[in-house]
Amino acid sequence: MLKISNLTARVAGKNILNGVDLEVNAGEIHALMGPNGSGKSTLAQILAGREDYEITGGSVLFEGRDLLALPPEERARAGLFLGFQYPVEIPGVNNVYLLKAALNAKRKAAGEPEVDAYEFLALIKQKMKFMQMSESFLTRGVNEGFSGGEKKRNEVLQMLVLEPKLAILDETDSGLDIDALKVVSNGVNSLRDPHRSVVLVTHYQRLLDYIVPDRVHVFSGGRILKSGDKSLALELEKRGYDWLQESRVA
Amino acid sequence: MSATAHSASPATAAAAGAAPQSAALRSFEAQWHARRAGPLHALRESAMQRFVQLGLPTMRDETWRYTNLRALAAHAYVDAAGDAPAAALQSDSLRSPALRIVNGVPCAADRARLLENGLEIMPLSELLRGDPVLLRGFLEPLSDADQQRWALLNTALFVDGLYIRITARLAAPLRLVHVTAGPGAAHPRVIIEAAPGSAATIVEEHVSHGDADSLCNSVTQIAAGAGAEIEHYRIFRGGPRAAHIDTLDIRQAGGSRCKQFTICLGGALLRTNLEARLEAAGAALDSYALLVGHGSRHADCVNIATHSAPDTRSRQTARIIASGDSRVIFNSKVIVCTGAVRSESMQSCRGLLMSPAAEIDTRPQLEIHTDEVKCAHGATTGRLDPDMLFYMLSRGLDRRTAQSLLVYAFLADVMTDMSPAAGRDSIDSALLAQLPESDLLRGLR
Ligand SMILES: Nc1ncnc2c1ncn2[C@@H]1O[C@H](COP(=O)(O)OP(=O)(O)OP(=O)(O)O)[C@@H](O)[C@H]1O
Ligand SMILES: [Mg+2]
Repeated sequence: MLKISNLTARVAGKNILNGVDLEVNAGEIHALMGPNGSGKSTLAQILAGREDYEITGGSVLFEGRDLLALPPEERARAGLFLGFQYPVEIPGVNNVYLLKAALNAKRKAAGEPEVDAYEFLALIKQKMKFMQMSESFLTRGVNEGFSGGEKKRNEVLQMLVLEPKLAILDETDSGLDIDALKVVSNGVNSLRDPHRSVVLVTHYQRLLDYIVPDRVHVFSGGRILKSGDKSLALELEKRGYDWLQESRVA
Repeated sequence: MSATAHSASPATAAAAGAAPQSAALRSFEAQWHARRAGPLHALRESAMQRFVQLGLPTMRDETWRYTNLRALAAHAYVDAAGDAPAAALQSDSLRSPALRIVNGVPCAADRARLLENGLEIMPLSELLRGDPVLLRGFLEPLSDADQQRWALLNTALFVDGLYIRITARLAAPLRLVHVTAGPGAAHPRVIIEAAPGSAATIVEEHVSHGDADSLCNSVTQIAAGAGAEIEHYRIFRGGPRAAHIDTLDIRQAGGSRCKQFTICLGGALLRTNLEARLEAAGAALDSYALLVGHGSRHADCVNIATHSAPDTRSRQTARIIASGDSRVIFNSKVIVCTGAVRSESMQSCRGLLMSPAAEIDTRPQLEIHTDEVKCAHGATTGRLDPDMLFYMLSRGLDRRTAQSLLVYAFLADVMTDMSPAAGRDSIDSALLAQLPESDLLRGLR
């Protein structure tokens, strides 16, 4: 599904990614953990096609295609989805118009007809119900005035409607109350499928009680320091990150 | 009448120390000389004299700093009044029922169709003969202010126009379509008097006909009586060779409310003036400017709101988009006179640059001569927010659709305050037609 090899990148003359290697197979869920500022969001944004970063080396294959050669909109249409750590507010652009445009762009790229307006409304209402979002969000601007938790739910709502092959969720669990965490986790789990993969960026092992990962990676200093199974997350919870850095230096 | 009756000859102007005369100025003088004297001749003659003495505004004049009229000045304009080609009346933007005014002359047939209770419409040529004293009240005093320079010329040269009196609360909007058929210059004038307690929506749309260079120098005056409610639109949709200078004067009595929309969607050169006077307590003005710079258009908008009484309120909102190598200027000024205590004003201007060669200049100004006022202003100009753009791209939207959605959202503040009855949808469509990927946008709404 996704194969990142020795990816290096910098911004404003500063090296941020220092040789990332990561392989995610179809059907797998990977968790990416690591200290603040280690470059997790940078990696996520680069995968989604953000142009502010200079890629200095390495490669990324998405279903065997050179992902880095595609503009962001084509990556999305090919089935990649980024749940933003900080979803931007877009006042004046209706939340549902955006979703409809997004879905139609994807269908068009796949040679499918545009979604019928009535069917779309039914679909989105059903997904909103699943995400426990009130229908008042139908008429609002994209993330406009949403609370932190509402923004995260909205990201997952978009993911459920777009049904991506690979979802990268950047701290989608941050700022959620316990109930919302369950709702968001249910959303992610509902997409779980042998043909779909998820990369969860998170600081909290709690999330992994709800969404059980196949692999856990520790990201530090712009690269993956250590990988393991779910038990690695528990160990991090107990011991923090320092022991890893020390063991590496040693 | 003989030509010697006019003292505004080139010789006198030169003697008064005016700048060397331009071809345009000479052609305006020639137009004046060709006119026959009628009622109010002396007043109109002195307007002409003042215009010739002061000359065309130059970039040295305070409100003309950003607009160079050199190209316009080099042009000799013929009198466009009266000769309305039949084709000009077929203009596609006409939506019935509308009152068409071609090169400043209203179509009699349209007028008869529009009359209703509470609405009187009279051609200015008739008013000039029938009640010159009433008309004089609207033409005087002559102003030397540079933003009123072209109004002086209009006062001298208008051939006809409309006097509209509103005495009731009108249900349907009154739609005026000004057609300027080039080549030549037209000087249409519209006077709107709203009796106390009356209400109306008036839409003035300006279009040009034909491919020739044309100049429209229009003046509209609105007098809103106590408690009157007026919603006024001026929509500029001239062709790529149309030059337009429009002057709008609004006087508001106590408790009157005026909502004014200035919408620039066309033309090569556009200059709009708005002078609003809030003359008694409770008068309130909401002015909106929606200015689209497209291609190499130059649009210069000057708004001045004067609070001369206590407890008056003005709000000016401008949204500007500039693409290509267009240039758009928005200058707004609020003047709070001595004694106009508890006045409130707000100026908000936002510009959006869509291309590296486009330019937007904004200048909000405040002139306050009393204490106890609340005046706020803000002006920002920038490009489309890259974070918003990336967010939409990351959802699969193509760049042009994403840009158009953002532009459209940017204008939403102004659009949502328009009454649907005034044709918000048609304004909307005209606007969308100037945005990239407009068809996609239409599908999204
Ligand atoms: N545009 C930029 N200019 C300068 N530095 C940047 C820029 N973008 C990111 N950085 C820096 O890159 C580093 C990695 O940032 P990134 O957001 O990827 O971290 P993160 O691992 O997601 O952290 P967190 O857990 O706090 O979300 C940080 O030190 C950050 O300040
Ligand atoms: Mg981050």
